[in-house]
Amino acid sequence: MTTFTLRRSTPRDLNELVVGAPGTLVALTDDHRRSLSARFRAVISNDHRRLDAWSVERAGQPSSSFRWSPATARRLLGNAALRRVVRDALVAPTEAVADEINDQLLRCASGYARPGSLASWLASLSASEVALVCAEATNWAVQVLEIAQGLQVEWRVATSDAYYDVARARTSLRARRDLDVPLGEGRVVLRVRSGSPGKSAGPGLRSDLTIDTLANPKGIAPRRFIGVWPDAGVALSVDGTMADLRAGARDLVRTAVVQERRHHQMAA
Amino acid sequence: MATCTDPSPRSVVEALRGDRRRRPRTDRSCAPGLRSILEDGIFELLYDTVPATPLIVRASSLRQQSLSTDIALSAHARVRGILVNQVLRLLSVGALVTDPFDDALRAWRLEVGSGELLDFVDRLSGDDLARLATDVTAHAVTLTRSLGPVSPHWLARSAVRASVLLASGSVVLRDVVDLMVGTTVGEVASVALFDVTTSPLGEGAERTMRYHALVQTLRSGVVPLRTSSFSTATGEMWSLDVDAELLTRSTHEVLEALSAIARHA
Repeated sequence: MTTFTLRRSTPRDLNELVVGAPGTLVALTDDHRRSLSARFRAVISNDHRRLDAWSVERAGQPSSSFRWSPATARRLLGNAALRRVVRDALVAPTEAVADEINDQLLRCASGYARPGSLASWLASLSASEVALVCAEATNWAVQVLEIAQGLQVEWRVATSDAYYDVARARTSLRARRDLDVPLGEGRVVLRVRSGSPGKSAGPGLRSDLTIDTLANPKGIAPRRFIGVWPDAGVALSVDGTMADLRAGARDLVRTAVVQERRHHQMAA
Repeated sequence: MATCTDPSPRSVVEALRGDRRRRPRTDRSCAPGLRSILEDGIFELLYDTVPATPLIVRASSLRQQSLSTDIALSAHARVRGILVNQVLRLLSVGALVTDPFDDALRAWRLEVGSGELLDFVDRLSGDDLARLATDVTAHAVTLTRSLGPVSPHWLARSAVRASVLLASGSVVLRDVVDLMVGTTVGEVASVALFDVTTSPLGEGAERTMRYHALVQTLRSGVVPLRTSSFSTATGEMWSLDVDAELLTRSTHEVLEALSAIARHA
């Protein structure tokens, strides 16, 4: 049975969620990975499949094609800026975001940016548009920083999202993560999200937990995976238990099945 | 207590931050009580009816009397308000705004992509577009002159959204604060909320200021230091120090607005 916990996102509540994470560490073995791969292989797809919490929450409904915008760029720039702030406490989030944007523009000017990348998109914008992107990313960086500074334990900004390629199943999984909290031998992961949690936020969070565990080289699950919605002032968490990992994997496979069914219906 | 600064304050940001030595300690105890008042009031309003869709309260629900026509809701006024807010967003990150109308329009287009109001702008004749540009520029100049430099260390963020669910999601309090400075982390209250309007300030603006403070308190669990409103039409700024009395008053205003919304739902 899944162990979702819904709390407010005040520093006290978040600290209780982090410190109160279950102490038992659960790990996925090679057998688990093989079993998951077999299940995905059974869902035949002509294209490479990409799944994440968002596709689980939308029950496999196709999303509109990705395009850069201030909203889609803010998390990438904001988290990168936050890493600069952590390295040098004298740098303010706005300055760090501006530095990060300048680095991206420099990358483009030096010819290292691919077409369609964030750097080349930023380079195509006017100064006022870049300033708006900077404002959005600053909003993101400050809200994540406020959450992190409220924690009474050591934390770090996640170096990247978690990616896992399911062997021989033409399937890539991605879990977003923003803050890593080392806790004893294990860790707690926080993911910050905009808006307010919908009815399917739980399954989405659970699939994030599973993907994060699969991406871990030793297959060790986070002790707890916490989704924080600062706009709504709430936090939802799921524990890193074997039952939750299995449920997360089932959600992902089910999403692949629904996606494939939709493809067939559209083709017919 | 409401204080009126001079029509042309030396710097809005200075007025927002106030005297550091006189700031109260961070109040983290108010939010649960306010939530209880709202939950009890909502129960009394909706105990025999479960709305099919959530009832949504916005700052505009408190600003205007129901069923009244507000000239500020014309497409021209709404576009002007949006563009002046975009100018504020650009200024909050230290951008140099040389052509307020053009810069704000570009930023807005990038943000929303397309929409009814953008179509309205695209359909304007040359004269009407020039009139809108002049109007926006006048308001933006008032804002730029009054705002003053925003230090990056004040953690300024713009267009901060909030969406607080009450009564198991039957009621949603939605809000967007134009500019927020300060942090909720710390022993001393430092969060200042700033609202920009292109209309003259009135009773509705005061209710909106209280609403911003209430929603921010419910969202973060921390009572803000002060809430302010600035009119780019008059250059006037109103500022209220936030306390329990102000927040309680806002809960009653929200319940009144909700009652009107429920009647018309």
